[in-house]
Amino acid sequence: MGEDAYKVKVAKDLEDLIPNFLGNRRKELDALRVALAAADFEQLRLLGHRMRGVGNSYGFEHVSVIGKHIEDGARSGDKAGLAAQIEDYGNYLSKVQIVYE
Amino acid sequence: MNSFRVLVVDDDPDMAAFLARIITTEGMVADAVYDGDSALLSVLTQPPDLVLLDVMLPGKNGFEICEHLKSDPATALIPVVLVTALEDRESRVRGIQAGADDFLSKPVNREELVARVKTLRRLHETRRELEERRLAAEVQRKEAIRKAFSRYVSPRLADSIIRDLGSDDAPFKAHAHRAEVVVLFADLRGFTRITESIAVHNVVEMLNEFFSVLTEAAYQHEGTIFNMAGDSLLVGFNVPFPQPDAPARAWRTAVDMVSSFGPLASAWRGRYGVETGVGIGICRGEAIIGNVGSPHFMSYTVIGNTVNTAARLVQMAQADEVLVSGAYYQSIRDLVPQGRVEARGDIALRGMSEATAVYSIRL
Repeated sequence: MGEDAYKVKVAKDLEDLIPNFLGNRRKELDALRVALAAADFEQLRLLGHRMRGVGNSYGFEHVSVIGKHIEDGARSGDKAGLAAQIEDYGNYLSKVQIVYE
Repeated sequence: MNSFRVLVVDDDPDMAAFLARIITTEGMVADAVYDGDSALLSVLTQPPDLVLLDVMLPGKNGFEICEHLKSDPATALIPVVLVTALEDRESRVRGIQAGADDFLSKPVNREELVARVKTLRRLHETRRELEERRLAAEVQRKEAIRKAFSRYVSPRLADSIIRDLGSDDAPFKAHAHRAEVVVLFADLRGFTRITESIAVHNVVEMLNEFFSVLTEAAYQHEGTIFNMAGDSLLVGFNVPFPQPDAPARAWRTAVDMVSSFGPLASAWRGRYGVETGVGIGICRGEAIIGNVGSPHFMSYTVIGNTVNTAARLVQMAQADEVLVSGAYYQSIRDLVPQGRVEARGDIALRGMSEATAVYSIRL
């Protein structure tokens, strides 16, 4: 992913909601890792479903994209694919840059 | 314009916060709850103007909540927008079956959310305005009917008719029935001389003044006016509503009629030089009450021997005299100053097969 891929434009009036939003994404990442270790595909599907819904609503399109992959991967039981997505998610969250406009 | 209140229902706090923020940014009020049971409780305690409803919820899911709201007449008109990441056709059909007014897909596009909410707000407000207008028109219509009826029946009877419009047991729809009633006839003494010696327009004015005094007294004691003809008024008590104290009401009506007419009689004496007074006949007994007439003209009326007897008594009554039947007198004797009562004995009234005990009460 190029550096631009980590830049997210967020509406100014959502600025005060973003710290909570990102905090919850990090907790989500932990929950994904726990679910993967336990091979809890139903939990992974639910977490992916939620990521898909909330990510791009705030402007974080990549969160929705990864969420959809996790949801699909959980349905098919693709543990290796899920691990790659979760790693990608962690990487994304550590590098994401937000521009308010 | 009243504030438009949106209830946001989503188990994801970030999603709920996002939806609520967009709503408030657009000048509306948003409340958020995070599960199905809380949503139903919130709608019950503080009905919103619109619900943004997630489908996958802990407890009752969005479809079930939507069905619940739409099946309750109190909440059926609240617009519900299902906000869901479920994209399959089956879920959409399920939402339509549940009665959802609109759908929004997650991730939510801000512009689409605002557009859909504003559209539903306009529809909701138009519907509410129409409903308010309809209710106002209904109130106005009933008030107009009440006013119209009030010129012909007592205000209480008019209110009852309005209240029971469409009901099968409304007073005017009831089948004819027998009931114990008290019938009062009041008649203007000296009327024949008035019609012979006074100009027509003055006679009409005098009759209007006369009947105003009498109807005021009748309504004061919640009597029902059945008939107003010539210079005579027929008032019933204990009909169509039960009045356990009907005899006393009739008596107080008679007293008020005579005392209220006194000043008017004095005024007429001064204006036209005529001597007038009120004669009253009262009888108590069984009568038939019901609608008489044709499909085009009905009269709510009271008929029978009790009415006939009261009619005969009023014909005999002098000015400021109340002639009453024996049965009626027994029911009010404690109310009447004994010095004013004179027993006339049993009198054979015209058209009656049996003699009637008659008492004269001078007021």
